[in-house]
Amino acid sequence: MLSPNVKSSEEIGRSTQLSFAQSINAALCQALELDPGVFVCGIGADTPAGIFGTTQGLVDRFGSKRVFDTPIAEAGLSALAAGAANAGLRPVLIHQRLDFMLYSLDQVVNWMAPWRFMSGGRAKMAVTIRAIIGKGWGQGPQHTKSLHTWFAHVPGLQVVMPASPSDAKGLLLSSIMSDDPTVFIEGRSLFSMREEVPDAPYFIRLGEALVRRAGNDVTLVSMGAMVPLALQAADTLAKAGINAEMVDLRCLMPLDMASVIRSVKKTGRLVVAEPGWRMYGAAAEIIAAVFETLGEMRSRPRRVTWPQSAVPTSSKLEEQFYPTSGDIVAACRASVTET
Amino acid sequence: MSDSLQTRLELYRTMYLIRRAEEILMAEYHPADQMRCPMHFCLGQEAMPSALARVIRRSDILMSHYRSHGYYLAKGAPLEAMVAEFYGKKTGANLGIAGSMELASHEHNFYSGAIVGGSLYMPLGGAFAQKYRGVDDVSVSIIGDGVFDEGITYEIFNLAALYQLPLLIICENNKYAAHTPIERRQAVANLAERAQAFGIPFEKHDGNDAALLLEVLERIIPEIRSGKGPRCIEIATYRFCGHVGPGEDEGMGYRSAEELKQWKMRDPLAALRRTLMASIEQPQLQRLESNIDAEVHAAIAAAKRAEWADFADIVDMNWSGDYASIVEFKRRDVSSFTGSQSEALPGPF
Repeated sequence: MLSPNVKSSEEIGRSTQLSFAQSINAALCQALELDPGVFVCGIGADTPAGIFGTTQGLVDRFGSKRVFDTPIAEAGLSALAAGAANAGLRPVLIHQRLDFMLYSLDQVVNWMAPWRFMSGGRAKMAVTIRAIIGKGWGQGPQHTKSLHTWFAHVPGLQVVMPASPSDAKGLLLSSIMSDDPTVFIEGRSLFSMREEVPDAPYFIRLGEALVRRAGNDVTLVSMGAMVPLALQAADTLAKAGINAEMVDLRCLMPLDMASVIRSVKKTGRLVVAEPGWRMYGAAAEIIAAVFETLGEMRSRPRRVTWPQSAVPTSSKLEEQFYPTSGDIVAACRASVTET
Repeated sequence: MSDSLQTRLELYRTMYLIRRAEEILMAEYHPADQMRCPMHFCLGQEAMPSALARVIRRSDILMSHYRSHGYYLAKGAPLEAMVAEFYGKKTGANLGIAGSMELASHEHNFYSGAIVGGSLYMPLGGAFAQKYRGVDDVSVSIIGDGVFDEGITYEIFNLAALYQLPLLIICENNKYAAHTPIERRQAVANLAERAQAFGIPFEKHDGNDAALLLEVLERIIPEIRSGKGPRCIEIATYRFCGHVGPGEDEGMGYRSAEELKQWKMRDPLAALRRTLMASIEQPQLQRLESNIDAEVHAAIAAAKRAEWADFADIVDMNWSGDYASIVEFKRRDVSSFTGSQSEALPGPF
C-alpha cells in the first residue's frame, strides 16, 4: 500500500546529520505523508516547542486535523486512539513522560493488547504510543520511570527502544505502519545525539537486534538510553585489550534472542545493561533465556541496572543512582577475569 | 396504518428473537454446563436493541457492555455464530476466544467487552475516524448506569463534545450495577444530566416502549449523521434476570420481589405483542414465533456439533507478525553511531 510513494532501497543513499529529536520529527513527517490515516496527537503536539522539537512544524504542513494538541486526558485519548485504530486509522499518541501514560493502562493492557486476539485475528490495532523518559536535571520520581518490562510482559503489545537517531527514524516508521499496538520508548537523554540519517523513508524490522560492535571476549547486551553508555564502555574495554560484542536489542517485543545467543555462543560471557529496575527486568529475562538455551557459560552472567529504588531528584543523588559506563566496564571486566 | 403495522411487526420479530434466544439459552445453560463462560442475559431490556436494529447501518459502529446479546443480534450479526461462541466452538463469532463477555462481530462493526466503561472506547475512536474521513456513519455506545461510576466516562464525554464527534451514547439505567443500587454509588443520582454539563444534549425515555424508542432514534440519529455532534439518551429499564446467569438473584437482598414483579408487568415484549394482537391474526404471529424458536434450537444443535478451535492455531493471533504493509529496506551495513556520543542534560523544564 505504501510502495508507490516510497523510494527504492538504491535511492536511500542520501543522508543528513540529524539529532535524535530531528529524526523522530522526520519519521512522523514521512508517516503523515505516506498514509492519510496517520494522525499525531498529544499534549503540546502543535505548540512552537513541539515536544522537544519532535513535532515542530508538523501542524503547519499537515493541518490541525492530523496534528493536534489534546486535553490532559491520557486515558480518554488512549480510548480514542484504540477506537480510531479499530476503525482503520493509524494514531500516534505522544506522552511527554511515560509516567503520565499510566492513566491509560486499562486502554493499553485490557483493550489494545488483546484486541486482535479477541477478534480471532480479524482486527487491526495500529496505535503507536510515544513515551518519553526523563533523565538528568532533576526529573525525579515521577518523570523518569522506564516501565518497558511492564508492557513487554503483555501479549499483543510491541515494545520498541531505539538508541540512535537513524534507528529512531526507521523503528518509528515501522511502528506506525505495523498493524499492532506499539509502545515506543524514547530516552530524553538521547535527544541531542547526532548521526547520519537517510533522507528517504525506511523501515527497520521490529525484532531485529543490531550488533553495534563486534568482539570475542564478552557479549554486552543493552537497549534504549543505555546503549551509548555501553558503547563508551566497549571503547574503554578495547583500550584495555578486552573486546566486547555490543548487541543493541532495539526492541523488547518482538525480542531477537537469536542474535544474543549467537553472540554468547561465541564469547561465552554475558553482561546486560538495562535502563530500568533490576528485579523482574529485561536483563533477568535475557539471562534466563540464554541459560535455558546454552546450559552453561564461561562465567556468571551479570546485570547493570538501576538500583531497586525510586529515582531521586537532586543532581548529587542522581549521579549516585544512575549506572555509568564505568559500571558497565567493571561488570565486563569481572565477567572476563572470573575464569 | 400498514406502515406502522409493518414497523411494529419488525420490532416484534427482533425483540422476540432476542427474548427467545436468551430464554432457550438460559434453559440450556444450567445444569448442562456446556456454555462455560459468564453470561449476562438481557431479559426485560430488549426494547432498545430492537429499535436500534431498525435505524443502524452495517457500516455504523456499535459497542455494547457485557449484556450484549441483544445488541449483537440488533446489528444483524448471525445467531449461529453467537451461540457457537458461547459453546466455545471454532464456528463461534470469535473462534471461542471471546465467549459471551467479549462477543464481537468485526464484519458487522459490533463489539462488546467485560470491563465497565470500555463500551465507550471503540465508539469514541470510531466516531473520530468517521468524522476524520468525512463519512456520515455514526458510532453508538451502549452503557449501563454503572459506567457513571468510572472516571474515564467524563474524559470521554469531554472529548466527544470537544471534537463534536458523531457519537450516540445510550445509557440503559437498570438501577443496579451488579448488585449495588445507584443510591449507594452516587452522591447525586443523576446520570445523563452530566453529559449535558459537557455540552452533550440528553433526553430521558421509557426504555421498555420499543415504538417510542424507535421514534426517538429516528429523530436523533439523522441529526448526528448530519454533523450536529454527540447526543446522550438515558432509558429507564430493568433486567428480569440477576446480574449474571439465568437466575433472578433471589435472596441477594438488593432488590425486592415486588419490584421485579412490577417491572415484569411492564414487559416490553408482552406490551408490543398486545398492540399487535389488535391488528394481526394470531396464527400469523404464532408462525413467526415458532420459526424463530426453531432457528434458535437449530443454532444450539449446530454449536453442539461443531469442532473446537485448537490453541496452536490461535496463539499466533496475538500479534499480526505481518509487516506486509511495510516496504522493507536493507539498513546500511555500518552505523555511524559510536560511543563518542554523550547524554543530554535537558534544560530547565
